[in-house]
Amino acid sequence: MRYYSYFPGCSLEATALAYGLSTRAITSALDMELIELDDWNCCGSTPYGSINELESVSIATRNLALAEKTGLDLVTPCSSCYTTLNRANSYLRQYPELKGKVDEILASAGLDYRGGVKVRHLFEVIYNDIGLKTIESKVVNQLGGLKVAAYYGCQLVRPEPGFDNPNNPQSLDRFIASLGAEPVPFPLKDHCCGGSLVIPELDLALGLIHQLLESAASNGAQCILTVCPLCQTNLDAYQDMVNSRFRTRYNLPVLFFTQLLGLALGVESKALALDKSIISAERILAPFTMVAEPATETSRRV
Amino acid sequence: MKAYFMIKIKAIDGGDGYTKALRELEAMPEVEAVEPVSGEYDLVARVEAPIRVILVANKIMDKEWVEGLHILKIEPAEPNPFLDEVCSLPGGESVRWCIQCGTCSGSCPNIAKMDYSPRKTIAMIRAGRRYDVLTSNSMWVCASCYLCTVRCPRGVKLTELMHCLECLAVRHNLTNGRTPTAVMYRTFVDSIKSNGRIYELGLMMKFYLRTSPFAALKMLPVGLKLLSHGRMPLKARKIKGTGQLKAIMRTAQALGGA
Repeated sequence: MRYYSYFPGCSLEATALAYGLSTRAITSALDMELIELDDWNCCGSTPYGSINELESVSIATRNLALAEKTGLDLVTPCSSCYTTLNRANSYLRQYPELKGKVDEILASAGLDYRGGVKVRHLFEVIYNDIGLKTIESKVVNQLGGLKVAAYYGCQLVRPEPGFDNPNNPQSLDRFIASLGAEPVPFPLKDHCCGGSLVIPELDLALGLIHQLLESAASNGAQCILTVCPLCQTNLDAYQDMVNSRFRTRYNLPVLFFTQLLGLALGVESKALALDKSIISAERILAPFTMVAEPATETSRRV
Repeated sequence: MKAYFMIKIKAIDGGDGYTKALRELEAMPEVEAVEPVSGEYDLVARVEAPIRVILVANKIMDKEWVEGLHILKIEPAEPNPFLDEVCSLPGGESVRWCIQCGTCSGSCPNIAKMDYSPRKTIAMIRAGRRYDVLTSNSMWVCASCYLCTVRCPRGVKLTELMHCLECLAVRHNLTNGRTPTAVMYRTFVDSIKSNGRIYELGLMMKFYLRTSPFAALKMLPVGLKLLSHGRMPLKARKIKGTGQLKAIMRTAQALGGA
């Protein structure tokens, strides 16, 4: 059993509820345990860092200070939390003057942080720690024939280099193949969905979402797989708006990688919260959800 | 400090050293321009020394192709308080490394909406055009996709630079009225300040009230879909540590800057 400290992030309690539920549903099958960080606060995301740098790094570091006490790696399924918490970590290492201030700020709240927490993305943990070989061996429900567009978004592979190529990532494609499904070519796989700009700059974001849907659909994808709560909401909840704005007829379900993984591992579809998707995935997943019967043992453990 | 170096080149094994010298000088971040000259010396280089002219001179003197170097002239840099202010913020210091190649602008998905491209924004910062830069909308339409950052051949942290500019525009109260992003970001921060976590429904409602309540009508279908799928909780979630967060913000304000 592998243990991790878990930072779900605000979206997983709301717009990306399905991401949180499906994450919880797959961990035991993968012999991993996610221990939620007690009383975590919002990482601050891009908005806070754009209003007040010092405050934003400080509130992100509160989470790191809480996590340091657990002695475990801090794992988050949200790409924005991943980047923001990592950014706080690297800023504290790079800028001693900033670190001095943040130390003083944390001390005033009765906290201290020595810089020892490793922040990791849930997908990276599953890809590297669990590994595709293990996943392949645990797949009870081959997703043969399902054509999937691997959508990395921005902040899983950028700005920190290392985990995957920041300009042409491959890990999610390999992950899809390990479940028996088929990753389709998706040239815009690491392009931007607009993120939280969808609220203040709707037209801008709709244009970006339209390009992404076009790229996936024209390559024969039946669904889009994402690792980020913001990407999922933008592509799923705004798809109808794109259709009416650009006179298109996209009907592409947007799934979290945890949902597809759960399906392949034989977790019952209810636990994977597939019904939270606005563009229903029922049509394309019907052949696979029906054969979920032999997996009851796995689902009981969940 | 700006300085002019006269450089004499010597032959190195397998070549005259001249091509190598030109290539290596042009690749140095401190060197702004290199020109061939005739006479006692072979090249003249204009350099911008971030700290001391002598440090840059020594760096060039260490090259194998240098026969001799003469510091022709040192000019005091024109004061650029705006550049200094940008460079004082984490990530902002990287504007000095930019070679104006435009890779950032070519990578940006939102450039069409920007008043000034990322490359131009950097040029304007270095030209000291504080008001034009801080009142522009450029940084507020950056979606933080980091494509520019990973592609920049000089390691300029463009996305972080955009965040620096946003923070400076807020600090000096120069945020552009045409872009609602600043209002959204402020509303977002308010939500964290009162609850410790984001309360989406409250955030959306406050944002539309502060900008355009009519735009909310357009967004209603999306909101209703999220609501009916249980993805938009009606109640805010509050953490226990809000007191801790308040203390953090109070001390941060007292310390100021970043």
